[in-house]
Order: sequence, then C-alpha cells, then structure tokens
Amino acid sequence: MKKQLTLAIAAAAASVSFSAVAVQAEPTEIELWHYFDASADAKAIVDWVEEYNTLQDDIHITATYVSRDELMNQYTVGALSGELPDIGMVDSPDMASYISLGVFEDITDELEAWGELGSFYEGPLSSCMDPDGRIYGLPQNSNCLALACNLDALEAAGYDHMPTSLAELQEMAAATTDPDTQTFGFAMCCISTEEGTFQILPWLRGTQDGAEAVNVDNLTADSAVKGLTALADMINNGYMSKECINWTQADAFNQFAAGKAAMAEVGTWHLAQTDAIDGFNYGFCLLPTGDEGTSSSTIGGENFGVCSGAENKEACVAFLEWLCSQEKEGEWGVTAGKIPTRSDSTSEYDYEQEGFAVFTDEMNYAYARGPHAEWPSISEAIYSATQSVFVDGVAPADALAKAMETISPIVEETPLP
Amino acid sequence: MFKTKEGRKELVNSIVAIIIAIIFLFPIYWLVQISFKSDSETFGKILTYFPHEFTVDPWLVNLTDKTFLLSLRNSFINGFLTMGIALILGVPAAYGMGRFKVRGSHVFLLTFLVAQMLPASLTLTPMYLIFNKLHILGTHFTAPIAIAAASIPFAVVTLRPYFKSVPKALDEAARLDGCGALKSFLYVMIPAVKTGIITIVVISFLNGWNDLVYSMTFNVNAEMRPLTANIYKFQNAYGTKWNCIMAYGTILVIPVVLLFIFLQKYIVGGLVAGAVKD
Amino acid sequence: MKTKNASARRENDGYLFIIPAFIYMLVVLGYPLVYNLILSFKNVDVKNLTKGGSVFIGFENYINLFHDSTFLLVLRNTFIFTIACLVFQFTIGFAFAMFFNQKFKLSGPIRGMILVSYMMPMSVTGLLGKNIFSNAGLINDLLGKIGIQGPEWLVTGSTALIAVVIMNCWVGIPFNMLLLMSGLTSISQDVYESASIDGANWGQKFLHITLPLMRGSIMAVLMLGFIYTFRAFDLMYIMTAGGPLNATDVLGTYSYVRSFTQFKFSEGAAVAMVLFACLFIIGLFYLRMLAKEDD
Repeated sequence: MKKQLTLAIAAAAASVSFSAVAVQAEPTEIELWHYFDASADAKAIVDWVEEYNTLQDDIHITATYVSRDELMNQYTVGALSGELPDIGMVDSPDMASYISLGVFEDITDELEAWGELGSFYEGPLSSCMDPDGRIYGLPQNSNCLALACNLDALEAAGYDHMPTSLAELQEMAAATTDPDTQTFGFAMCCISTEEGTFQILPWLRGTQDGAEAVNVDNLTADSAVKGLTALADMINNGYMSKECINWTQADAFNQFAAGKAAMAEVGTWHLAQTDAIDGFNYGFCLLPTGDEGTSSSTIGGENFGVCSGAENKEACVAFLEWLCSQEKEGEWGVTAGKIPTRSDSTSEYDYEQEGFAVFTDEMNYAYARGPHAEWPSISEAIYSATQSVFVDGVAPADALAKAMETISPIVEETPLP
Repeated sequence: MFKTKEGRKELVNSIVAIIIAIIFLFPIYWLVQISFKSDSETFGKILTYFPHEFTVDPWLVNLTDKTFLLSLRNSFINGFLTMGIALILGVPAAYGMGRFKVRGSHVFLLTFLVAQMLPASLTLTPMYLIFNKLHILGTHFTAPIAIAAASIPFAVVTLRPYFKSVPKALDEAARLDGCGALKSFLYVMIPAVKTGIITIVVISFLNGWNDLVYSMTFNVNAEMRPLTANIYKFQNAYGTKWNCIMAYGTILVIPVVLLFIFLQKYIVGGLVAGAVKD
Repeated sequence: MKTKNASARRENDGYLFIIPAFIYMLVVLGYPLVYNLILSFKNVDVKNLTKGGSVFIGFENYINLFHDSTFLLVLRNTFIFTIACLVFQFTIGFAFAMFFNQKFKLSGPIRGMILVSYMMPMSVTGLLGKNIFSNAGLINDLLGKIGIQGPEWLVTGSTALIAVVIMNCWVGIPFNMLLLMSGLTSISQDVYESASIDGANWGQKFLHITLPLMRGSIMAVLMLGFIYTFRAFDLMYIMTAGGPLNATDVLGTYSYVRSFTQFKFSEGAAVAMVLFACLFIIGLFYLRMLAKEDD
C-alpha cells in the first residue's frame, strides 16, 4: 500500500517535472543500463544514446554497462532498494519475472498511441507482456541458434556437406574428433545459467522419429529424452568436451574459431565476430536436432523497458520508440549481428550474407522461452538436469523426470502460453 | 667451500629451498607470462610456457579502459579507507587495553577476538539490508565499513602486546611533564610502537585491497567496484580472454608484491602477533 | 570533573580509548549478527521485503535445510574441504617450518618470498586455479610430460574439490609455516643439545621435545586454520562457482547464492547461522586456550 502510494507520488512528480522541463529546456538526466559487451554493440549503444541526446531536449541519457548477471540481480532487488535505472535492458525470457516483481512500468497506453505495435513480430513482443496482455517494454533485437561448421575439417573427414539430421551430426562429430590434436567434433554451451538453457533447449525440442516437438512442460517425452541422450553420448564418447558445462556461448564459439571444435552451436551475433575464425573455410546450417531435414532452435533477444519510478516516463518511452523504430531496428541488426524484431524492418547486411540467410530461416523453427513469471526456476531445472547427466552420469530420462518435478507444479499453477 | 659437512648441508638445503621457491612462485610467473601473450597464442592448441608472440596489448587494453582506471581508484579507496578506520579506532583501543587497568577488559578482548573469527557470510545479508534502508548501497563507504570490522580487531590484538611492552617509565615521565592521556598517547606512545603501527597500516590496507565479497555485494555498478570484483570483465561476449584477465590480475598483485618487498619484516611480524599471541 | 583517585581516573581514560572501537564493533558486527539470527527465523525474500508481509516461521528454515540434500552435500563438502586443507597445509607447513628453521643463507629470503601467495587477493588465486586446472591447462600439461593422463579437474566433482584444496593449500602452507616457525624459534637450542648428549635421535627429539613444546602453537595454528578455512568463499566463488553441480559448494558460497542470487534472505541467513555455529564451537576452544595463556 505504502509502496503504491510512493509510486503514485513518483508518477505525479514525474509528470510535474515533465511539464516543468518543457518550460526550462533543461533536460532530465536519464540512466540507461545495458549489458552489451561485444565491442560493436557496446559502442553502438553509447553512440546511439548520444545521437538521441542531440535530437531532443527533454532528456539527457547516460548509458552504463552493468554485467548481465549483475543487472539481472539488480532488477530483482531494485524494486526494494530503489536503485533502478530509468531505462533498463533485459534478456527476453527473464522479462516476465521482472514484470511480476514490479520492476517495469506499464507503458501500454503510450505504445498504443504510437500506433506501430502491429509491426513487431508476435513472439518477441509477447515477451514484454504480462498475462493480461499489458505491455512493459519493446523488443530491441532478436537472434537464434544455428550450427557453425568447419568445412575443411568436414571435408578431411570425407563429407562434402553440412549435417541435416541429428544422426548425421553425431556421425560427423565422431569422424572429426581427434584426441591426439585435442580436436572435438562438436561444441556448445551448457553452463549453469540462462545461456545454458538457451543452447540446451533446441535438443530437447527436436522432432524425433516423426514425433512433434514438445514444450518445456513435457520434457519426459521420448523426443526430449532422445535429444539429451544424443548430447550425453557425445560427451561420453569424447566428441564434445565436458568443459562445455563451464563454457559460455562465447567460449564455445572460441573453441570453434580456434579450430578446436569442428562444429558448434552458435548465435546470430557471432556472425559479427567471424574475423576471429582461424583461417579455415566455414559455413552455417540449420541446427540438426532431429529427423532428416527438421530443425529446432531458441529465440533470444533483448528488450528495453522503462523502470518503475523512472523520471520523465513519457520521454523514456519516446526514446524506446526511437530505438525500436523501423529504421533503427534495421540498422542495429547490421551493427550488432542481430535480427530485427519488426516485420517492416530490413537489415542490409554487408557481411556474412549467407550466414544471415541461414539464421533468418532458422527463426522459423525457433521457439520462445515462456514468457512465464517463473521462467528462471524452469530454466534452472533444465540446465541442472543436463549437467547432472554430463557430470554425474545420471540417465537422461531420470534427469528430465527430476526437472519435471520442479517444472510441473509451476506450469500447473500458471500454464505456459 | 662445500667440502666440510656443514658446507654440504648448506648446499643441499639451498637446493631444496630453491625447489620449494620454484614450486610456490611458478603460479605467479604463470600469471605474468600469460599477460604478455597474444590472443591467438592464448586460445591456441598448444600450451606455451612463455610468450612466443610477445605483446603488451593485454596491458594496453586494461590501462586504456575507463572502467579499469575507476576500479583501480576504487581499490585504493577501499584500501585507504579501511586503513583509516582501523588506525583511528583500533590503535586507541589497543592502547586503552594494553596500558590501562579497565574493568571488564576480558569482555573487550573477547569481543575483538570473536569479531576476528566471524565469517563475512554472517553479516553480509543484514548489512546489505541495513545499507539498503540507509540508501548508501553503491557508495564508496559501505565496503570499507564492513572490512574494517575485521581490521580493527586485528589492530587491537596485534598492537596490545606492543603497548604492554613499552616501559611504564616512558608515559609516566610524559604525565609528569603535564601531558594528558591523549597527548601522551599521541606523542609518546604511538612513536614507541611505530613498528606495530606499520604492520597495521600494511595489513589493513591489504584487507581493503583484497576484499571481494563486500565490494561486489554492496556495489552493482562496475564503475564503483574495485579490481577484485571486476576482474571478471574479460569473460564476456568474446569468451574468456585469459591474457587480459592475467594482465588485470598482475596489476592487482603488483602493490601486494611491492609492499611485501619493502615492508616484509613488518608484515611477517604482524601476522604472527595477530594470530598467535606472545 | 576531578575524580577521587588517580587509578580510577586512569581507568576512565582507558575506557575513552576503547569505547569508540567497541561501539563500532557492536554497530557493525553485533547488530547485524542479531539481525541475522532474527532473519533466520523469518521468511524474508525479495518479494515480501518489497511489499511487506514477512512473518516469523520458527525453525522452519533450519528444518528445511536439514531435509535438503543439496545443503547436506554442501555441509559435507565444507568439512571435507576444511579437514583436507588442514591436514596438508599443517603437515607440509610444519615440515617447511622445520626446514627453514635451519641456519643457511637462503632460508630467510625464500621463506619470505613464498609468503606472497598468502598475501595475494583470493580472486586472483581463484582465476589462476581456474586457468591451470582447465583440461588443457598447466597441471595436465605437466602431468602429460611425465606420461600421466590428467583428469578433467574442474568438470568432475571429486577432482574439482581436490583442485580447490590444492589452490587453498598453496595459500595456506606458507601461512602455517610462518606461524609454526615462530613457535620453533622460541624453543631453546640448549634443550636439543642436551638431548643429543643423552643420545636421542632425530625422531625422539621431535616426539619428546619439539611436539610437546610446540603444543600451544600447534593448537593455535590448527584452530585458526579451521576458522579461516571453514568460512572459505572467494576461492570457490571465483574458481568453480561451487560447481560442477555443487561439488565444490561450501557453506559460505551456498549462503551467498541463497541470499544474493535467489534473494531468499532468510534461507541464506539460516545457512550462515549453521556456519557460525560450527565456527563458534571451535572458537570456544580457541578462546579458552588463549584465556589460559593470558595473564
């Protein structure tokens, strides 16, 4: 009750200061926190904020980098500590949980007045909503996962194409593994964070033996068990390094780029980092997670929202509208190696065009995570189950059954969309 | 020279000592040598024992980074503030307990001894919630306030015997000259225990400099964190850049090594005194 | 303001010097300690901290902890880690202390040099450990040179625990050596000489002279070692993050994750209280020992 009152006062104060600003022309100082840490997007967000500062006089935005884990923690405690930025970036699957904690402002009315919501893809936009359909932010970029292949290594092993089924991936991983030179067939990230879940999910959601792909509320299905078993086999046979449980996605990509893994599960943004690849021919293909010719992947992306108690909410929303405008969405895709979140935006990629074509195609087979307010708990159950298979040798079926002990009660209370 | 039995023993001992030194110092060499390797050599398939492509780039990456420079500043602030609190509060307390017959002195001593043993985990959550309520999370003071709670007891326990051992005649003479307790403390006693004070200066500075848990819990913003909490920075979108991390680590270790080289006898003496009472 | 006699005045002056530090300790440690105890009997998490409505739930947090298999694993890890570290850092530290207690030119400088590892920030030690114990890292490379196929240290539960013990011993051995040396130097050489005259060999001298005379130092080193090791946090947090699958999770890191990753403050507080209780028991022995020695 007291909190609501405070918020009401803050909102009132914000609107007062807004009108005051209009007269004084002294811009409100706005804090924007992000976790972009690749040189291209980290630089771009600062440049863009500067650009926006010169475009208008209502607000002056400062972009501050906070590491991803810290930023997520900060949202959780921010509502109580009051130490929230005015504008915040968030990993799309986690947004629902922060909305439920009251971290973000409901900006549905402002965005509807803007009139461009219809241009956004449904998946990414839904990650900005609460269960009632109110909107708390805008999706700023999208990405998904596909397979990167070292074509030279495949050719040396006798293959003139990239894998098109899970079985073929396993076969090729076996053929390209060479213990003597510490070369593995496959690399991915199975770290105990959301990044791990992001990369593990496609294998649990593959199409196996003609069976439909399952959602995370049915991970004991045969297809999910088969997918996890395939990964476990790769570890046990030495086609994939067990160190993947400590690798971030960047680490997994580095293994590929250094030639230490012949194939790797990589993200769209890695297309902007292909100059790190150590002098071999490479290619990208759909992630072969199941039957011949099928694929599954996970949608990733970052959203931007206006945080509770933000000064000058309207001006902050105006910035989001500019950041996610048709033109800027296309531009960001090229700069950061991402896919626009709007159907009316096109990124004119001037590099790795074939790669982007693969990832754009892969988006058709990519599933969103949630949105669900309890997603972090669901995610933890998934990466923990996977790690218990890799580290402790638990049978994949048992591990997934254990994960479902956590997930089932959560989705029974509030079903997945 | 090594013909005598004594001489042979000296030789054998020296060789063993050198082997021990190599084993214990090799990890530090490892830290430093990686910091001079190129990216490709760090990620390379073959592990090298010294930089084949020598480069100072990892150092430049750090030294030209704004967050790094701020973190360096924050580490010094942590060190100096902790040292300041430990000196201002700890030294007088040690004096009071070493020179005066106070009732309940055992209670005081016990308090300081117990305080030295408390794990950070125990006070971290309450402190976080209290600092949050006071709206001082994310400021430079929070971490040193918490770290000093371990440095003050160290100062008291270490310095008390020093004060005890100062001859009674010294401060009695000062009192006869008309000095009050405070004056005789400042002008007679402190100079008399200079050695012990230097120990406190060094150790409390290092307590602040080395802290991780308080600094990372009380500060979210990377620009407010010290080096110990930001050394992770190079595990990011580009993966784990060991050469940059190790350059970062080397910079973190340099002040420790410098203090060690120049003030070793004070550190060693202090560690022993603070842990095992004489 | 004049007091009746000089000794009473002196006593009051003494208080003036002690009280500020004492109050500081009460405010900065005492109050949080009590706060933590209260917190551990409530159900405070990030949601009810914001919106209010946390209530006392008695011993529920503690009961839940002892029914939580992960917590029991963590408790076990903490004891294994502590005891393994104590055994190795004490015996090797003792051996080093005896070795460097001999008179030879390099004794002083090298004994000093190896103490650097003790003074280093643990976050650097942790990263170093993470680097050298990686699959293709220094340790496995060296093992490979002598024909041993090294294990996958940090991704296998048991070996990860060994790796953190080794890194902690790298820090702990010099420290133990230092403390034990101060005990050794206080033993008069005359005792050994008269024993030699009586025909005692090295082992007898060690058993009947060194050990008994070092009893105080040994007890102090072991108890302090226990206290410092049992509360470990930085090393695991940086080197393994408690992994793989909690294999190197100890009470310090587990409490931290409960409080500051899951934001279940009361559960984190309860874990911290268990940690404190274990330290308290050992601490009592230590304090009693100090009290006996004290004047």
